Amino acid sequence: MRGYHDIGGDTAGKIPKQELPWLHWEKQTEAIRNLLGDGTRRIISLDEMRRGFENFGAEKYGQYSFYRRRLEAMIDILIEKDVISQVELDQVVEEKKRVWDKDSKQGTD
Amino acid sequence: MNRHDCQRFKVNDRVEILELCKAGHVRIPFYVRGKIGLIIQYCGRYLNPEDLAVGKTSGPAIDLYRVQFDHVELWGESENLYHDRLVIEIYDHWLKPIKQIV
Amino acid sequence: MSQNNDHDHHNHGDHHHDSPDGEHEALVIEDDVGNIDGQIMIDALQSVLISRGLLTAPEVTKAIQQLESPGIHLGAKVVAKAWTDPAYKARLLSNGKSAIQEIGVSVGEAQIVVVENTPTVHNLITCTLCSCYPRSILGQPPSWYISKAYRARTVREPRKVLEEFGVTLSKEIQLIVHDSNADMRYLVLPEPPANFIEMDLTTLEASIGRDDLIGVSR
Repeated sequence: MRGYHDIGGDTAGKIPKQELPWLHWEKQTEAIRNLLGDGTRRIISLDEMRRGFENFGAEKYGQYSFYRRRLEAMIDILIEKDVISQVELDQVVEEKKRVWDKDSKQGTD
Repeated sequence: MNRHDCQRFKVNDRVEILELCKAGHVRIPFYVRGKIGLIIQYCGRYLNPEDLAVGKTSGPAIDLYRVQFDHVELWGESENLYHDRLVIEIYDHWLKPIKQIV
Repeated sequence: MSQNNDHDHHNHGDHHHDSPDGEHEALVIEDDVGNIDGQIMIDALQSVLISRGLLTAPEVTKAIQQLESPGIHLGAKVVAKAWTDPAYKARLLSNGKSAIQEIGVSVGEAQIVVVENTPTVHNLITCTLCSCYPRSILGQPPSWYISKAYRARTVREPRKVLEEFGVTLSKEIQLIVHDSNADMRYLVLPEPPANFIEMDLTTLEASIGRDDLIGVSR
């Protein structure tokens, strides 16, 4: 009954002190979650998102960075609730990847 | 279900955290379950995160308390001679009253 | 429920960071590919949500700006006022949210509990289950606050954790750790510097740092 995220009291090493930058995609993830959870929408709450990453399984949870967990959890719950579909998301991801690859190949001349 | 006008616990009540076997999203960590603490603050009524996590937003709102534990109660470490404490928020349905120490 | 995710996840393994102090618990950090992946995914999600009429791009831009605007300077403003205005301090300790809002700082959380350090009490804030932090006031928490090591160890060996931050508490000082697991969020009200009466408000505010407000400094 103990979730893998429920780690209070576990043994762990020294605390990693390096400060990490907060990247644009991470802010965008938080911003979108906040908007979707706001009073006018109430599409996905913080607790639904938490349930999302608590359901990943220990391996997936352990391999993702903090904001990636939130992004993946949000996607899982939105798909579960039929707000979006996996198919339409994958399609748009592929389009954006193509654009990115094309732009990257054109280089920074 | 009748609504309570006053909460079940007051400041300085001793309480035990229940070891509920709940699947799904809960906000009561493992390390305080089954432990005995002291109510130090009433926080008000909030929607139950266990319900919110599955999209149930209609309530009821649950009394929330801040409960204080002695470090020794939680970790049983006899080397800890200090008077350190841990405080955490516990929803009413996770709490059981304990006979007060006279 | 598993998601059929077509993306390659590059280097989502642990990254070890050596330090003069020895082995640190790993932080999972995205590498360049992971960050590009993250950007592509959130852009794709945003497109889908916009096409479904659930949000607009200007709303997202504004929401990002709102996330960027809070910061330690707001927490410092609250603390400096509490140090210099005893009646305000009393209100702050009694109802953190309303006292903070009183000075024009907006608070998105349900309630803010302000916990006061004294010569005999030191407070430390953590969230063992995830990363709860008073974001609408202080902005985003530091990486170490959401690290596995901090979350796991603060409730069990807080004095050792504080040692890693360069704080040694004598045993006469009572250490109270607050696990932000539910609807409250916490701010530490540190002790003022000895000569605070001689300091102007701007200098006082500048003397208050993020670590003071979380409790990993004293």
